[in-house]
Amino acid sequence: MTSSSPEAPIGRVVATEALPAGPHQFHFWTATDTTLGIGAIVRVDGEASRTVYAVVVDGRAYSDLAAPLHDVLAAEGNPEAAALAPTRRTEIRLWTAAVLRQMPEEPLQPVPLSDVRLATKDDIVHALRMDTYVRTEQPMGIPIGLYTAGGTSAPVYLDADFLLGPESAHLNISGVSGLATKTSAVEFFLASIFQRFPKAKGTIAAVCFNVKGPDLCFLDQAGELSEADRQIYAELGIEAEPFKRVRYFAPFKADGVHLNTLRTNPALTDTVQPLVWGLREVLDYHEVLLNRDDIDAKSDAFIDFLADRVVEKEFRDDWGTTHRVRTFGDLERLFRAIFDGLENAGRSDVWRTHHIATIRKVRNRLMNISTRCKGLVTDDGSVSDVPFGAFEDRAVYVLDVAGMDQLGQDLAFTRVVSRLREHLERRDLGVDHVVVFVDELNKYAPSDGPESYVKKMLLDISERGRYLGLVLFSAQQFRSQIHRRVVGNAGTAIYGRMDSDELATPQYQVLSAATKIKLATMPKGELMIRHPHFTQPVFVRFPRPAVLTGPKGVERFPPAAEMPLEDAVVVQLVALDRAVSPGRVKELIAGRREVDVRRALLATKLAKPRDVFAFFSAALGPAVPRETVTRPAAAAATVFEVDDPYGP
Amino acid sequence: MSTQGALREAIMQSGGTVGTGSVLAYVPPPISAPFGSSEPVEDVSLRCIDVRGAAAPPGGTAFLDGIQRFRVAGRIGIVPIVRGVAAAAVMERRDGTLAARLLEKEECLVASLGRLEPTAVARLESLGLPLYDSTDGDRSHPLLDIQLAGRLVERRREALERRVAEQWLATRSAGWLLIDGSITALPGLETSPAVLGVIKSHETQFLDGADLVTALTLPPGHRSSVFCRESSVRSRVYSWYLRLWPWEERDLLHGLLRLECAPDAAALGQATEISRWLLAERAPLSAPDGRWDRLLYPVQHVEAYLRAQIGERL
Repeated sequence: MTSSSPEAPIGRVVATEALPAGPHQFHFWTATDTTLGIGAIVRVDGEASRTVYAVVVDGRAYSDLAAPLHDVLAAEGNPEAAALAPTRRTEIRLWTAAVLRQMPEEPLQPVPLSDVRLATKDDIVHALRMDTYVRTEQPMGIPIGLYTAGGTSAPVYLDADFLLGPESAHLNISGVSGLATKTSAVEFFLASIFQRFPKAKGTIAAVCFNVKGPDLCFLDQAGELSEADRQIYAELGIEAEPFKRVRYFAPFKADGVHLNTLRTNPALTDTVQPLVWGLREVLDYHEVLLNRDDIDAKSDAFIDFLADRVVEKEFRDDWGTTHRVRTFGDLERLFRAIFDGLENAGRSDVWRTHHIATIRKVRNRLMNISTRCKGLVTDDGSVSDVPFGAFEDRAVYVLDVAGMDQLGQDLAFTRVVSRLREHLERRDLGVDHVVVFVDELNKYAPSDGPESYVKKMLLDISERGRYLGLVLFSAQQFRSQIHRRVVGNAGTAIYGRMDSDELATPQYQVLSAATKIKLATMPKGELMIRHPHFTQPVFVRFPRPAVLTGPKGVERFPPAAEMPLEDAVVVQLVALDRAVSPGRVKELIAGRREVDVRRALLATKLAKPRDVFAFFSAALGPAVPRETVTRPAAAAATVFEVDDPYGP
Repeated sequence: MSTQGALREAIMQSGGTVGTGSVLAYVPPPISAPFGSSEPVEDVSLRCIDVRGAAAPPGGTAFLDGIQRFRVAGRIGIVPIVRGVAAAAVMERRDGTLAARLLEKEECLVASLGRLEPTAVARLESLGLPLYDSTDGDRSHPLLDIQLAGRLVERRREALERRVAEQWLATRSAGWLLIDGSITALPGLETSPAVLGVIKSHETQFLDGADLVTALTLPPGHRSSVFCRESSVRSRVYSWYLRLWPWEERDLLHGLLRLECAPDAAALGQATEISRWLLAERAPLSAPDGRWDRLLYPVQHVEAYLRAQIGERL
């Protein structure tokens, strides 16, 4: 074994006419039993105080055997005899290293033909240019992992200005499912950012979209860590603890009373808030929900008319009725009035320049939304939203959309991110920076397929977000399947275990064959990092996040079983206030319309009142016997109020 | 039938072996000492002895080789000024790996000093390199003078070889010192019981008649009886032939080694054992070196080491 002293040379730069040393790449040999490997950082000291730092990107071993046939001849065709040869052939370990940094930077010259040493901790800082943002008066380093190679262990930091803006921003992580530990890595990065983001740069929060299973459902619960993990945390200077402030948001299931999330264990439900939107919340993002093939310019114009002139306003139709449209129910009544009015008026096919066919088409598409996104979008106008404007520093807001179909996920993603952008532009979100974590980015910004509203929005964030403090952390299996402008604008690119087919795509042609092999065989917990300050990819190890993993969380906190409406109401009210009498609740809601019960329950859960039963009872209102509602005469000017159960 | 075919047929019908020569376009240079004399030791008439396959070599075996380079750096008048470099090394094998134990290098100048002006000689002396006189006779010859200078550099190489051999033998604990070439070229070593000379060239033949036929047509894995080679100039040593590779369809001398060791009874008893481990040295093959059939890989390794030490250029 070669010397373990970091100051002892482990190799020597070699250069031939066919294999010269350049300013960017060189070759060196080592003993055959060296501790060196792909990804190790080395130092070459030349004359005149010139020091070159480089990362090993390739390695070859060969002997003086000129042709395989010579080995066959020597062993007389017997492989066993080959192993008995009294002398081992001369063997060489020849390494290729890519230059990370030359000091001084100018004049840029070929690497000196000198001794090669393993980089020390201090060398790592200089090699990765971390001295320019870690060893400064106002350190900007965010620990990303531990460089461990050749017996050296050193923290690797990213520059906060280049990770979270404004110089550069965004982070993209690729790797095969289950082995690349993408979600774990992002959870660790967020913990690192929350603990080490410089105070001088302001406040920061994270919005995470949980798109599969229970992945992000237990960020506030402590997970198990090995001693090795704790050691890494210690070396990186980060506390191994779960997130202190986490708020969960989940839509209802189709029944409108059970939350569509795996975080429904009674012990955890107090931190889960329903995510419910009404007509206004949806209409602004109708482009997400409506098929562009169906909705043409005429339909667009009519939807704009509705959004600008009708919704949330008093609108008088052509037949004397005044409408106040706040819910999908109100909208349906308006459409009914228009169709009836046109029918009664004769053979006219046009209403306010809009053809009746266009109106019917828009009506069909819009009214279908509340069905397709049932649980997230309500007919009755109830709203429970993310607290835009009141975001807290170092808080994580998890939107659990895993149980929703693609359309609902698109709507949730688009609306939330759009609102974040609007608030950040106005500087009234509550924090200065927001990290948005999106897994399965291939669903939202694929490299092929039609242009979608979601993709356009992601492109906009990628290209402009860093100026606003809106930072995209995204993950996917195959980077090559993501829109180039989205991944291209990610200042920091991270790679876990990669698929070999993916590595064969042109995007990875800058990597050496050995680096690709390392990527294809990388164990869990290791990542390759590309960052603006690092001129070559760097390999690091990161610890498991100090939070409960999804599967273990579900095991420890099993989701609550679904139950009939009246039982569900009782359980949820009792969860808010143990003094609530189940019998009184059941008596109260007996015979009431389900929509009213659901609305009252949501209002109570959002208000979290001192006297839960009283509040619920008031929100539900007095019981009114069902009666047949007759349509008012066309001439009578009437206002349809949303929440008035006594309305016509 | 073609001429070639007819010739092959004629040779085979006469009990011969075909295809044993390569095409030559020149006459090989004359051999200075083509014949030597010998006397039987192991058998009265030389026998072909099957050594019964290869065996693992003894531990701690060392290999010695030397090289020299020289070139005419210039001429003063018509006198060539030759710059030479010689080196010798011993590499020891431990656990299959060769490691350099001893290295001696010497750079020198050679010229016919008697034919140079004293001022020119003084200038050459001032360079600080050993300066050797190659004067031999009164007359100058543009080619012979260079040959004489080359021989002087060769002597320097032999001197270095002897020095490293003596150093190694002085510190050795066990194992053989295998020398590339005749041990009689290193006076004083030919009586050492731990030195084995491996001769690849067969310019001087010490056998005659049926003994010579037996020696030169040995089948692979066979050795000849041990005989004692004699020389009026050089000392007496025990010697025998060993065939490493089949020679049929190739050349009579293909894969044929002649071995030399000190003339004592112990060496005689070890001839077969030594032959067996030399058979094991067939692997690794020293190809693509043209001498691969007779050049042992460790010896080639020492040679490569020396070349790296003194460089290919002067």
